[in-house]
Amino acid sequence: MLTRWRAGLLFYRSAAPFMLGISGLILGAVLLPSIYEGRSRGILPALLLAKLATAPVVWLLSERLRPGQYWFYFNLNISRRQLWRGAVALDGLLFLGSAWLMRAALS
Amino acid sequence: MSETALNEAGPQVLEADGIRIEFGGRQVLSSVYLRVQTGQIVGLLGRNGSGKSVLLQTIFGARAVADASVRVNGRRVVPAFRERGLLNYLPQEPLLPPSLTLARAARLLGVDLENATARFPELRPQFDKRIGELSVGSARLVQALLLLHADTAFSLFDEPFSGVMPVHVETLAEEMQHLKQRKGLLITDHRYAEVLPLCDVVYLLHQGRLLRLDGDVREQLRDYGYLAG
Repeated sequence: MLTRWRAGLLFYRSAAPFMLGISGLILGAVLLPSIYEGRSRGILPALLLAKLATAPVVWLLSERLRPGQYWFYFNLNISRRQLWRGAVALDGLLFLGSAWLMRAALS
Repeated sequence: MSETALNEAGPQVLEADGIRIEFGGRQVLSSVYLRVQTGQIVGLLGRNGSGKSVLLQTIFGARAVADASVRVNGRRVVPAFRERGLLNYLPQEPLLPPSLTLARAARLLGVDLENATARFPELRPQFDKRIGELSVGSARLVQALLLLHADTAFSLFDEPFSGVMPVHVETLAEEMQHLKQRKGLLITDHRYAEVLPLCDVVYLLHQGRLLRLDGDVREQLRDYGYLAG
């Protein structure tokens, strides 16, 4: 089980540049202005939805740029679906955590 | 996910059949039946583009093929890679993430790196290097060794000798001979001079069909145009 967690983190690290970049873009371009304009209440679910909607784009980019990235994980008995489910869940949590911290610090 | 226990009572048998693959209207594989059992090294030969890699990937379960049947001791296992302890696969392309150190890759794969590289002392100083820092030949050798020593019943190797220097090819071949006592190996590689002496069974992929070669294998390879007359 520990191996699967470690492998999941390793996979997330490889997709993180795309995923964290999109998170930064949404938080910086949407959440930050709305905090300063005092209209950030209730915005988090919509931002999370927007963030989740970008997951297919990240997946497509990752498939195009690193088509051979899965072999190692297959050899650890982990499927594509499991890898992406874990990466999207972790990324969603990091996104929500960062958004919550930003609001708490700046509101 | 079930776990494949090593069968103490006898050899495990991996079988694949019903694999039919077409690319752009061209039938690449048809009516394929392949059998590997623990204790055997099985060679898979064929010309470039004959579908060797596709066949290995289909058996491994990375490529979904309708009607493909992969069985172990008669039990269907599709996709086979999800079955813990059943099989692993060395692709032609790099297997390990380049940012991973050799030691960490071995830990994730559950392999004792000291033991796996015991006959390759020159690899020892490289345990803490990232895979991306190794030479192409060393990286290939290490990947083959890790999968060979991993605790699986079968290993599928796509060009394991590619890029590996001759002295290491010989030792790697000896390792394969030694480790086949506890696992079954399915190997495809164009270095037929190294592969043929290793093999207990040889298959040739020829015009989409998988032929089992018995008797004078080299003669038949010449007849089918795989070796020059």
